[in-house]
Amino acid sequence: MNLTAQDEIAVYVEGVREALAGLPAATRDELLEDLPEHLAEVLAEGGGSLYERLGPPAAYAAELSASAGFTTATPPAGERSRIAETAARHRARIDRVLRRADERAGPVLGYARASEFLALLRPAWWVLRGYLAAMAVAFMLHDHDTPLGLLPRAGDDDLAAILLLSLGILGSIWLGRRARPAGSWPRRLQRLGTGFLVIFAVVGFFEVDSAAQRDYYYTVEYTDPPPEPLSDIRDVFVYDAEGRLLVGVQLYDQHGRPIRLGDPMCDDELDSPVPIVNPGYPYCPDQAPFRAGEPSLSTAPSTGPSAGDAEQPPATPTTPAIPSPSR
Amino acid sequence: MLRVDATQLLKGVLDLAVLAVLRDEDGYGYDILRRLRAAGLEEVGDASVYGTLRRLFNNGLLNSYVVPSDEGPHRKYYALNEAGRAELQSSGKVWQGFASIMEDLLRERGKA
Repeated sequence: MNLTAQDEIAVYVEGVREALAGLPAATRDELLEDLPEHLAEVLAEGGGSLYERLGPPAAYAAELSASAGFTTATPPAGERSRIAETAARHRARIDRVLRRADERAGPVLGYARASEFLALLRPAWWVLRGYLAAMAVAFMLHDHDTPLGLLPRAGDDDLAAILLLSLGILGSIWLGRRARPAGSWPRRLQRLGTGFLVIFAVVGFFEVDSAAQRDYYYTVEYTDPPPEPLSDIRDVFVYDAEGRLLVGVQLYDQHGRPIRLGDPMCDDELDSPVPIVNPGYPYCPDQAPFRAGEPSLSTAPSTGPSAGDAEQPPATPTTPAIPSPSR
Repeated sequence: MLRVDATQLLKGVLDLAVLAVLRDEDGYGYDILRRLRAAGLEEVGDASVYGTLRRLFNNGLLNSYVVPSDEGPHRKYYALNEAGRAELQSSGKVWQGFASIMEDLLRERGKA
């Protein structure tokens, strides 16, 4: 018996069960006890789906309960049964609405009924359920100081986590492949567990989502700002066309704003920084990388007249005059 | 209309029909349905047979046992027990009496 046949049977039996909602649970369970096996026989005969061969589950249920000697129509007296009857009526109405929605939504998904499509997704749900169960177990067992990752780690051991994950998924598939539990208690327990896992999944999903976002903000906070260009420049040395070092150079941008680069400090012989006294670049002429001429502060104004006055204001201005643009 | 009548008639005698097809040989649900249809009760519904089997079993007229199967589902076989045989005999007599009366009635009408 393949999976789709089993699914088809489960869906059909569920439909019959819902249609028999008016019966006491024990009677209903007893009545439906053998139905999956019986329907498997019907299906094994071939000749169309259960729906085609037996009609809608509700009709099947009506015929079944009538022939088995139960009538859902006769309302037994008493407050309790009246409530049960009302509940059954509401359930039947909800059932009808769901069935209509099922049939309407089907073509959108490319199936006659949406439930046919959902039945195909069942094994995927089993796998997801196994994962969620493993995560729930790990969540209860793990050390709450460290956040839980995506693997169900109960301790530090990755292998144990993968083992737990495999166990959860295989167990869930096994549980799914088995027929529905017969008793009403195991069934209720399974429903309760499913509900718990769904809530756990939703809460966990948002938890993981916000954690991921938090991580992103942390990265932004803790990463150094990207290095600005020229940020590692400590001093500027300007040479004229003859390769002579110019001193007392003032730099301006196109708006006439002074360009400030480096650190106006010089290390003396003892390697301790002292503030420089001479204005303009270079701050520390002694550390010039190339030495074509012998630069000195006193000779600076006269060394490079050919370099242009604009680039070389007077060497010792008390208030640096803004040079006129050379063009 | 005739179809509805046949269904109505069937309701009254389905118990007896099921007991009858189990008289010589045990059977499982679908097998019993097939026998009934083969015998000519084309209208009999799957759910009716299944429900009837459950009821006869609950009333103590049938025994059941499961036969495991390598391919396909396990089958629950039903068998007549003593109470079932007694019921088949007494109800069968009632039905035969009723049927012969009906036959006479219909023959009278046909002549008239």
